[in-house]
Amino acid sequence: MPTNTTKAILFSGIVIFILSCSPKNISTKYYYQHEKVLTKIEDTYKKIYPENPFTVAFTDRNFKTVLLEIITDTLTYIYEFNLDEQSMTDTLNKFKFNTPKVVELIRQMQSIRCTWVNKFDYYVDEKKHTLTFLSIKPVALKPLFSYHKYYILTYFPQPQYFDSTGQLLDKRRLGRLRKINGEIFKRINDKVCYTISGNFR
Amino acid sequence: MTFSSETNRLISAKHFLGAMSIVFCLAGQTIASPKVKPVYDTTVTSTQQQAIEFIDKVKELKPSVYWPNIKPSLFLQNLKKNIYQPISVYPGNGTNFCGFGALTYLLLQDDPLGYARLLLQLYHEGNATFGNTSFTPSQAIKKQAGLLRFKGILDINPAEQMWYLCLADHFKGYLNIFNRKYDPGDEDRFWASVNYAKFNRMIRSLLHYKTSARGADLIRPRVGDLSQYISKKLKTSIVVLFINNRITHKKNHIDLQLGVPTHFIIAEKISNENDLVTLVYWDYGHKTQLQFPPAFLKRIIFGITSCTKTKTDAN
Repeated sequence: MPTNTTKAILFSGIVIFILSCSPKNISTKYYYQHEKVLTKIEDTYKKIYPENPFTVAFTDRNFKTVLLEIITDTLTYIYEFNLDEQSMTDTLNKFKFNTPKVVELIRQMQSIRCTWVNKFDYYVDEKKHTLTFLSIKPVALKPLFSYHKYYILTYFPQPQYFDSTGQLLDKRRLGRLRKINGEIFKRINDKVCYTISGNFR
Repeated sequence: MTFSSETNRLISAKHFLGAMSIVFCLAGQTIASPKVKPVYDTTVTSTQQQAIEFIDKVKELKPSVYWPNIKPSLFLQNLKKNIYQPISVYPGNGTNFCGFGALTYLLLQDDPLGYARLLLQLYHEGNATFGNTSFTPSQAIKKQAGLLRFKGILDINPAEQMWYLCLADHFKGYLNIFNRKYDPGDEDRFWASVNYAKFNRMIRSLLHYKTSARGADLIRPRVGDLSQYISKKLKTSIVVLFINNRITHKKNHIDLQLGVPTHFIIAEKISNENDLVTLVYWDYGHKTQLQFPPAFLKRIIFGITSCTKTKTDAN
């Protein structure tokens, strides 16, 4: 029969094992481990977007199927391509994209299993601001039985306010939490926040 | 109706079973029949120009005692924008207002002057009558309009906030059985959900169209070739599609998606060439073009409502 001490050690071991796999722990490390490539994706996207607004998503588990949303003044065009399909580059050329840059962005996204890149409008004091939204599906993120499996990053254009626990605030004065896409975000640095979500968008 | 992930987590098993049993009871309905007296045979409609002339005369609004959190200048600006550009109607990111957004888009095409008068009456008097429908919004709604946040441009559109909250407060369907009274945050939950029969009922109550509806919440419409059917209807009517948006806008990589409709869109154009369907539709403030195989169309569509104008606009 195991003694109480043995039980306590066993229980502590299980708790430590579970916590070591928790999304929170993985998230704090993930950004810094992949900071270089994440920043490059955000930067490339930010440069292409003003001339040709668009979003990119990977819709399959193998990261081979790309969903492109090309936003024009009159219509948003949604196309789905296999990554190596010639029609993808043809379409990008047709819409006068800097095609090599977009393909490079898509390859960068694929390399770190980035599922979606998008711009997101939010309003402060009735003024519109825009942030960049990145979703990633890291292999190691999902602990057993976990519903949450996407690591979401938001890149703000200016420093944000956070509460004492590092949660993103709407305004410092009000102390109200800001939600983006229905999720509460936490601080990585003054301009970058993260959350763990069940959906990539 | 949008079953967000948050909503899915919030709904209890008891509520879910209850709602689903009612869904099954109602799912057999394939051709909806009018249960409310339609307004199309009693009232004349208006043009966009008439609405513009009317709203341009309104230079300023005083704060409303009924809607304490609505900023008058933003309200008027929102109202004018919707009249000038009906395409800009945006029911909010993450809300369950998409059915109300589609209804508003139809109303702005059917009777824009009626829309402007109705919203101004609601603003000034706290209640209003339109056709056979009397809106008497609850205190909770009046307090909340103007305060919705983190919903994209809906944040700064108080006229739309007020209108969607009033619609959700007034029209009820079986999806709202377990959440009938508004609490903050309910715009994202079942309180604001719209099932297919409720959507058609709202059209018949508020708009001057003769409608025909095919499909149901869980059973797809049997109309033969879907793209041909929709294309034919588009020649004489405005067509609303009730679709499973979880397939068209994948939010995760789960292969097994629940086969239920979640979203209302307004079809603008549809064609089928070389076994590739091209659909142009309006939703959420813009028009989108989507291409897919015909089998995909069959998977996503659960309801087709055709709205045909029977009256000419007033001069």
